[in-house]
Amino acid sequence: MTGTRVPKITMWRAIVAVIFAAGWYATYARFALGFSQSTHLTDRQPWGLWVGLGTLCGVGLSAGGFGIAAAVYLLGFERYRPVLRTAVLVSFLGYMSVIAGMMYELGLPWRIWHPIFMWNRHSMLFEVSWCVMLYSTVLSLEFSPALVEKIPWNGLRDWYLKQQHRILIGLVLVGCVLSSLHQSFLGGLYLLTKGKLDPLWYTPYLTTLFYLSAIPAGLAVTVMALYLCVRSLNVKLDTGILSELSRVIAPMIGLYGIFRFVDLSSRGAVSYMFRWREETFSFWLELGLFVVAPLVLLNLEKVHNNPQRLYWTCSLVVMGFMTNRLNVSITGLQASAGIYYVPKWTEFAATLMVLTAVVIAFRYAVIYLDILPKNAASRWMVKEGVA
Amino acid sequence: MERTRAILVDITKCIGCRSCEQACKEIHGFPKETGAKLSPTALTVIEEHGDKYVRRMCMHCQDPACASACLVGALKKTSLGPVTYDGSKCIGCRYCLVACPFSVPRYEWTKLVPYVKKCDMCSARQAKGQPPACVEACPTEASIVGWRDEILEEAQRGVLLDPKYVKHIYGSEEAGGTSVFFISDVPFEKLGLTAAPQQAMPPLSAAALGDVPTVVLVGGSLLAGLYWISERRNQVAAEESRQIK
Repeated sequence: MTGTRVPKITMWRAIVAVIFAAGWYATYARFALGFSQSTHLTDRQPWGLWVGLGTLCGVGLSAGGFGIAAAVYLLGFERYRPVLRTAVLVSFLGYMSVIAGMMYELGLPWRIWHPIFMWNRHSMLFEVSWCVMLYSTVLSLEFSPALVEKIPWNGLRDWYLKQQHRILIGLVLVGCVLSSLHQSFLGGLYLLTKGKLDPLWYTPYLTTLFYLSAIPAGLAVTVMALYLCVRSLNVKLDTGILSELSRVIAPMIGLYGIFRFVDLSSRGAVSYMFRWREETFSFWLELGLFVVAPLVLLNLEKVHNNPQRLYWTCSLVVMGFMTNRLNVSITGLQASAGIYYVPKWTEFAATLMVLTAVVIAFRYAVIYLDILPKNAASRWMVKEGVA
Repeated sequence: MERTRAILVDITKCIGCRSCEQACKEIHGFPKETGAKLSPTALTVIEEHGDKYVRRMCMHCQDPACASACLVGALKKTSLGPVTYDGSKCIGCRYCLVACPFSVPRYEWTKLVPYVKKCDMCSARQAKGQPPACVEACPTEASIVGWRDEILEEAQRGVLLDPKYVKHIYGSEEAGGTSVFFISDVPFEKLGLTAAPQQAMPPLSAAALGDVPTVVLVGGSLLAGLYWISERRNQVAAEESRQIK
């Protein structure tokens, strides 16, 4: 190969370019013009898309890493080991995206370090901030060998890998506890909204429900990521593992569904499920996508043994999960706020850019690092110079 | 408990002159224009509901949701009663706006370095023994300030003796009790004073936070136990396969 290569314009590259152009404008609007020019947030809707989608969904959908890590390292389910690095990578990138999103979300982001020194242990958000800091560190350490093993200096590399291996079980254990707390606390943030949040979502068990829903959603993301790797990144993987994962997702969703219904009925909120209100529609959309459809589909042999159908079913789970988080953070608060919040396009643009960056980072990590076993380099890879 | 300060607003006495609004703006150096709602430059406003004038401001809860929400402790319930805000700690997360049961705090959405704005009951003035600027400016004694126990007693006496009053003091139960009270001759719902939960808010999340040590201990040891079992099983299996060879 000689000289400079001009990158070919493909459809995907064009889309990415548009997303980044819009995202950069949104970034400019947020930091040079302020919240009022970059969001539709008001005193009545102080938390919008960046919290609802960026933080609540970002953290929730990153729950796959601790689930798989616990299964492999603590419970000894060796059959999940081939997908361990993928799950940890997705979680790691997810947490990085959450931290990036906070830069947009916080009014004074340069003070993001304040919670390290200024403590308020009565604050749920204080606990959340420490979970983010600590678990991001744990995820970085858990994922680090994939990067370090590419270091050409043998002595340093072997020393680091040996040290990392020594503390690995401890890391996984601490990671499980931190991640579980973090998932629950995000629901706990809304415990203070009693009287504001709609009875379809407000419950003293918000913490439990957030935890129970995050694990199947995180596993669904892992299945989706694995499928995409097999489809387009020339990865060698027995797709039986996807069916295996989905076998775990279904009962977890079932457990969540039962807990949700028991909670609703014990609070006497069942009647709200059938009132003619906008909230009711959002509620059923959430329940249909996250609980009903996946429970039916995942039990069909036709879906179970077909990676592509599994992929689409898992995308339903993810969409249902996102609907739930947006319902808690936005829909359920609209009536009491007396307003109708529709995010500004720049809010979408910033979130989409962060998400796209995650997908691109994931793609290059799978191509250049040993995340999954690979087939021999395919023709397009040689042509593109990635193999 | 130490004695704390409180404000009593008698809606039957308010004539809507907006002296309180203007006094508040003056002491904070805000522009004089009046608006209909609380804003970052209007920490108290007179809302008109029919022929009634209702003064809105921070309720200065006894156990404030905002102070328990604030992760860096920028919001505090001071020993004298006012709930104050320390902008130098704030990171701009706006959880206080989400948490406030009365939806009082305002955010400077138009600024590039935005802070939270809310009434601090003239905390600095009160520490020097002066009344809050708004109370001092009131010509009809619709707003008065005093020790909370005395003010509450006075409100109770007024409500009981005069049949025109609604038999409830808004703020005595709301959000577990506040340091700003309203008495009125029309129902509070008609004055935009919504029914906040009749309980202190912070215990709602404190209950979940209280579970943390248990979750960490039980969950952690459970996981460690499972790890030990699976490790042991592997060891035994390895040993057995060696013996067979």
